Amino acid sequence: MALHVPRAPGFYSMMKEGARHYAGMDEAVFRNIEACCQMSGMTSTCYGPVGMNKIVINHIGKHFITKDAATVLQELEVAHPAAKMLVLSSKQQEQEAGDGTNLCLMLAGFLLKEAESVLRMGLSPTEVVSGYEKALEMAQKMLEDQVVGQVSDVRDIAQVEPLIRCAVMSKQFGLHERLARLISEACISVLPQGGHFDVDRVRVCKVLGGSVDGSRLIGGMVFRRAAEGDVTQVIPESGRVKVAVFACPVDFLQTETKGTVLMETAAELANFSAEEERIMEAQVRSLAEAGARVVVSGGKVGELALHYLNHYNILALRVSSKFDLRRLATATGAIALPRLTTPTAEEMGSCSRVVTQEVGDTNVVVFEEDNCKISTVLLRASTENLLDDLERAVDDGVNAYKALTRNPRFVSGGGATEAALAVKLAAAAEAEPGLEQYAISRFANALDAVVKTLATNCCLNGAETLSKIHAELAAGRKHIGIFCDPDSGESAVANVSERGLSDLLLVKQWALRLACRSACTVLSVDEIIMSRPAGGPKPRGPGGDDDD
Amino acid sequence: MDKLIIDDRKKATISNDGATILKLLNVVHPAARILVDIAKSQDAQVGDGTTSVVILACEFLRQMKPFLEEGVHPRVVIHALRRGTQLALDRLDEIAVKIAKDDPAQVRSLLEKCATTALNSKLVAHQKEFFSKLVVDAVMLLDELLPLDMIGIKKVAGGALEDTRLVSGVAFKKTFSYAGFEMQPKKYANPKIALLNIELELRAERENAEVRVKSVEEYQKVVDTEWNILYDKLVTLHKAGVKIVLSKLPIGDVATQWCADRDMFCAGRVPEEDLRRTQKACGGRIHTTVVGLTDATLGTCELFEEVQIGADRYNLFTGCPRARTCTIVLRGGAEQFMEETERSLHDAIMIVRRARKNDSVVAGGGAIDMELSYHLRQHSRNVTSKQQLLIGAMAKAFELIPRQLCDNAGFDATFVLNKLRNRHANGDLWAGVDIQREDVADNFTACVWEPALVKANAIVAASEAACSMLSVDETVKNPASSSTLPNENKPVKPGRGMGRPC
Repeated sequence: MALHVPRAPGFYSMMKEGARHYAGMDEAVFRNIEACCQMSGMTSTCYGPVGMNKIVINHIGKHFITKDAATVLQELEVAHPAAKMLVLSSKQQEQEAGDGTNLCLMLAGFLLKEAESVLRMGLSPTEVVSGYEKALEMAQKMLEDQVVGQVSDVRDIAQVEPLIRCAVMSKQFGLHERLARLISEACISVLPQGGHFDVDRVRVCKVLGGSVDGSRLIGGMVFRRAAEGDVTQVIPESGRVKVAVFACPVDFLQTETKGTVLMETAAELANFSAEEERIMEAQVRSLAEAGARVVVSGGKVGELALHYLNHYNILALRVSSKFDLRRLATATGAIALPRLTTPTAEEMGSCSRVVTQEVGDTNVVVFEEDNCKISTVLLRASTENLLDDLERAVDDGVNAYKALTRNPRFVSGGGATEAALAVKLAAAAEAEPGLEQYAISRFANALDAVVKTLATNCCLNGAETLSKIHAELAAGRKHIGIFCDPDSGESAVANVSERGLSDLLLVKQWALRLACRSACTVLSVDEIIMSRPAGGPKPRGPGGDDDD
Repeated sequence: MDKLIIDDRKKATISNDGATILKLLNVVHPAARILVDIAKSQDAQVGDGTTSVVILACEFLRQMKPFLEEGVHPRVVIHALRRGTQLALDRLDEIAVKIAKDDPAQVRSLLEKCATTALNSKLVAHQKEFFSKLVVDAVMLLDELLPLDMIGIKKVAGGALEDTRLVSGVAFKKTFSYAGFEMQPKKYANPKIALLNIELELRAERENAEVRVKSVEEYQKVVDTEWNILYDKLVTLHKAGVKIVLSKLPIGDVATQWCADRDMFCAGRVPEEDLRRTQKACGGRIHTTVVGLTDATLGTCELFEEVQIGADRYNLFTGCPRARTCTIVLRGGAEQFMEETERSLHDAIMIVRRARKNDSVVAGGGAIDMELSYHLRQHSRNVTSKQQLLIGAMAKAFELIPRQLCDNAGFDATFVLNKLRNRHANGDLWAGVDIQREDVADNFTACVWEPALVKANAIVAASEAACSMLSVDETVKNPASSSTLPNENKPVKPGRGMGRPC
């Protein structure tokens, strides 16, 4: 180039124009901490049963009213690289434990905030990181001692329900009793003998209208779609309804290769339609003879096919989602056939009844099953937003059940575990000889901050409540936490395990681990280099990498 | 009063139906959208009371606002609202009057009263007796599942509202027809009816079919065959004794003429829902092929005729063997007026359907609202916590409905409400606003009834909406992405960008 613009010497001279570079404690570490704290501060008001909701409007204008931290973060499309690390850790929490995302995020935020003060005191980030890791190790061991009990039988609703209730309580306080019962019943009913629990087996069907109390459990699958033909229900006098499931359209198949039907004589032309009708009738007749009373199609049900299905009194239903089709196949024990053939006895599924019900003003087709492999929670509520939030609560509850089947041990909830851990960690820190002492005591402070947030959200004075809890713990009482009474709405410091507040050990373990790891990762970054965004289409909004 | 709304396509709608108005308003405010949602939900669950659910939700919020400003935590308010709702529902259950179902005359009068109450608030209020009978008749004709789509509503401009008639069977507008149609008879008694999904026209057997012939004779044969295929279908129909042929798909001029020559009536391009209604009423099946026609798959009715209604000709099927369907032919002046009437009738039909399914009723006209208000206020006095004030405020919110009724009727609301409070305090359960005499009256004996379900659903929906609005402490809005929804902000203009004036 003829006209060379001289550039400043140093780092920028070796990068392309537009690159950004931050280094050092002030520019990188503290900035990262600040960003993370701001983000976790936002979701911290959602924590606990009486936390507040957020309205989030995502980039396509969809509304969410929720206090589920995972959902809020996902729809926020966080762009800051350090804050994103926290988002990822809460996502991982969701995948591992299915619940406790907010705890994970908040704890990470508090850990970073506490780290800031020791960093300013002069400790190096590596010392803080190693201190935190040591604290985590101690905390995990102490957590084992906090175990209150365990569920001996995961099929016993009396044992399972309190735990599910606690998980749901933090999402839908006030409606948790009803939901917890539905979820526990649904989960227990689909737990296979000696097999693994599959969260996919509890389905949710949302129908607008009515009240949450109108929600109920249906054994089997529910489709929000009316039957295609004239037959709307099949109730056998005895025995079971045979179901044929096709993954393809129930119609004449179109050839992929371009082709024409070639006719050479008039007779061929005359017989063409008759032949088509004959083939289709033969097909449907053989289905009817094989005993099928219900035909489920993965695609269109052709008009001629429908004509004969009506003729042979067979219910036809179109299920457009492949996943739903597969679930239906599992529920009925059918094999989804890729072609329109007559299923053999093994390929044919069965269920107890197939009926059409009017829920609100929506017609749903229900495949009922007396001892089912899939059950559906039919949710009713008066707004779409509430329905969506209820669905998330159900998902959390089901995930909690899954975690329960993996590790049936539980600890006390309501901040009691965190408070007890904090006290023990603070004591252990003092016995520590090295510089790690500071970091460990800061870890304890961060746990205390979680309890404080919970207290503040429950309309209590944070500092006062925390000191009360500490005093009770020092007096040798156990399981002291914050109990929020669903009947009066008032909160108080109490023995929470007596009141039936318990959280799963697994959730706490993962939350501690992931929060500590992500905080350490953020701390150990001392330099951020962002290269100039590549040319090409402009990235869409902040984040911009979601694919929904 | 009614609202006149002009939407983004410059279409005018006159309505006083809450759900319709809110749907047309295109609300974007996140919290206000919840209100639109509950109106929709009420519409879905009950079909009427959409306006009351919205104003009730707003009033709950309005009454709670001072407490929030004074620093009461929203969670406490939510808790009180949920508690109050439960109390109101329990009370509603307790006082709702069950109507015995075994006496058909009594059931009928119950349904008519519910329909009258629903229509009271609508544009057609002065013809409410006429319409409530009509609506109840219509619903009584349905089977026990009461499918809504089995009541057809047809609008014919012109004539007076009272000219509206109920056809216990099917009625649809004369379809497009070809030459020869006028030669067909227009009246049959006990005809056999074939419902088809077949195009009765010379047509290609298959879109990608091709005929290759080698000789002229063969060519002529192919042409003849095409005609024969059509004739064969017609002959099959004729031989089965079919007098009336209805098809979803077009019926061409050849077939029309052929039918006319053989004393048959045919109509093509019948709208699908009309064909399905005909099937429900007359029996039979919709055929995709004429092979296998039997008497069982053909429908019948006592009388088929074509009549002139207003400027249009209608095909009427009456005296159907399985009259599980009916059609309301609506008459009236302006188009908007008829649309509003249709919505009003829809609401009334929904109310009657709900009343047939659930048989407990309460008195309308603000009576039940005053009673709930009184009950909550009494209850709040026994509460010691903060909730006393909150439940008291909720009690006040329930007074809104009678107040609004008075305001809209031009009465002195304060005066009427004072009287009402007094009557309820003296144990007069069903004292409500008397719209006719600007006074209070026992609305139960005055037969202003509505199904308890309507009220219960409205209370639940309003309180759920209020709770979810109160529970929000922060709104985060992401910038709308431009690439995914390019048309979100600019409505699609008619004419596909060809610049057609709109």
